[in-house]
Amino acid sequence: MDKILDILEEIKSGVDFKNEKGLIDNDILDSFDILSIVGELEDAFDIEITPVDIVPSNFNSAESLWAMVQRLMEA
Amino acid sequence: MEFLLFVLAAAFVYYIIPARYQWMILLAFSYIFYAAAGIKLLFFLLFTTLTTYGTARWIDSVNISVTDKKEKKSSKRRILILGLLLNFGMLGLLKYSNFAISNFNSLFQKNFALLNFALPLGISFYTFQSMGYLIDVYWGRFRAERNPFRFALFVSFFPQLLQGPIGRFDRLAHQFFEEHSFDLTRVEHGLQRMMWGYFQKLVLADRAGVIVKEVFGNYSDYHGMTVAAAVLMYSIQLYGDFSGGMDVVLGVAEIFGITLDENFRQPYFSISITDFWHRWHITLGTWMKDYIFYPISLSHWMNRFGKYTKKIFGKQTGRVIPVALANIIVFLVVGIWHGAAWKYLMYGFYNGALIALANLLAPVNRRAFEVFHIDDKSRAWHLVRILRTFLLVNISWYFDIAVSLGASFAMMRATFQGFTFRTLTDGSLLNLGLAARDFVILAFGCAVLFAVSVIREKGVDIREALDRKPAAVRWCAYLALILSLPVFGYIMVGGGGFIYAQF
Repeated sequence: MDKILDILEEIKSGVDFKNEKGLIDNDILDSFDILSIVGELEDAFDIEITPVDIVPSNFNSAESLWAMVQRLMEA
Repeated sequence: MEFLLFVLAAAFVYYIIPARYQWMILLAFSYIFYAAAGIKLLFFLLFTTLTTYGTARWIDSVNISVTDKKEKKSSKRRILILGLLLNFGMLGLLKYSNFAISNFNSLFQKNFALLNFALPLGISFYTFQSMGYLIDVYWGRFRAERNPFRFALFVSFFPQLLQGPIGRFDRLAHQFFEEHSFDLTRVEHGLQRMMWGYFQKLVLADRAGVIVKEVFGNYSDYHGMTVAAAVLMYSIQLYGDFSGGMDVVLGVAEIFGITLDENFRQPYFSISITDFWHRWHITLGTWMKDYIFYPISLSHWMNRFGKYTKKIFGKQTGRVIPVALANIIVFLVVGIWHGAAWKYLMYGFYNGALIALANLLAPVNRRAFEVFHIDDKSRAWHLVRILRTFLLVNISWYFDIAVSLGASFAMMRATFQGFTFRTLTDGSLLNLGLAARDFVILAFGCAVLFAVSVIREKGVDIREALDRKPAAVRWCAYLALILSLPVFGYIMVGGGGFIYAQF
């Protein structure tokens, strides 16, 4: 989870990633940020994120990102 | 008219038989519809249906039977590639081999004979729809359909077979197979939408098409304002033809209780080229996004490339460059999708490059707003953006409609030669095949279309608003629409076929 917060902080600083629940819904992250996050997550956790996973509900908070990563690590 | 009778016959059978057989009626009528266009063409439709059905089921069985993660992934990938090669291979062979041969011939001074294939109707649409399904099964978005006949209906559903919209299995399947009871309001809505589509097609598109055909067909004879006017006419023709065609398609589907994806959302009110592609031929755009843009952007080499560009150009610009590159690739594919010709490749590149530039220059843009104190939320600026986008879109039409890439550049040059607004008033536009009366009808029709678009853009559902009106008012509106078709829709270009059915 800390790793995810680091990645998010690196991509866009100055956001309260720990508590924010609407990263997509509140237009905090744009499409460029999402693609950057995907690239970083794939490298950091050795997972493969497919377009099916690119839905707002997976990217709205650090927690939902972490849930997605865990799911893909098990797959 | 024959089509209308066909639809009514299908609807009649559809609603009198037991509801659990309804989907079979749709399948039967779809195959009758396609066979009527040429019995030999059924082979290609069956080819796509069977190969896609087979490979998708195969991927499904690997998913269940193979336990080793690595092995599962690689065999699924091999089956996917087989399915894609078979289908895009067939599409490529039929659609693009002559383009390749003629370019090869002119490059190496050879004289290989061109192949004499008839391009199966709607092949680009049903191939893309089927391949989207296959890739979705590969990604595990849903399981493969087990019943080959049910799957055949997904590929061949006759309203959308010829010109889209490009559908998605997860949104369509349950609609096809659930039971539909007769609902008068829904059928009325469907018919209403069909009539509105025919209005756009017969009153607007076919009329504007007369000028387009004359000017673009004899492009060396025309220059200045006449060319600009013809391009503008093409804006009307293409929109009326394609969006009108979609209204017919969606209306027919609605009669059967099936809601297809929308393909247009007032595209000429777009504020940027990106926005335009979110509103114009929407299902092609989302197909490209899901099955080309994301796979490229999420690929390992793009990931590496993105890290590299961030290092060289900094975080801001570096993260945009890979997306810009992916967009250019996507739009080259969009260009090729339209047809095998250099002008279509240029059409795609032009759109992709504009979007890429807009992304790259966004920070400069923001800075410029601050320096010049432009309020980018103001209505005036919104209007400027709409007009700017409309101009850029019209420039793209030169590539789309000119007879060749060379002709499109020649016509762009010609537009600036002897350009004068006097052309609009001195009567020279009346020598292009349309009488003054037709220009009046066209202007009136465009005014109606514009009014409807403005109301829709404001978020008003016109049909619901109409439903609330007294029956007399409603039927007056229908009557006006229906009467306008034979009275004003008397012009037929090239047999009155739809432009996009050729793609």
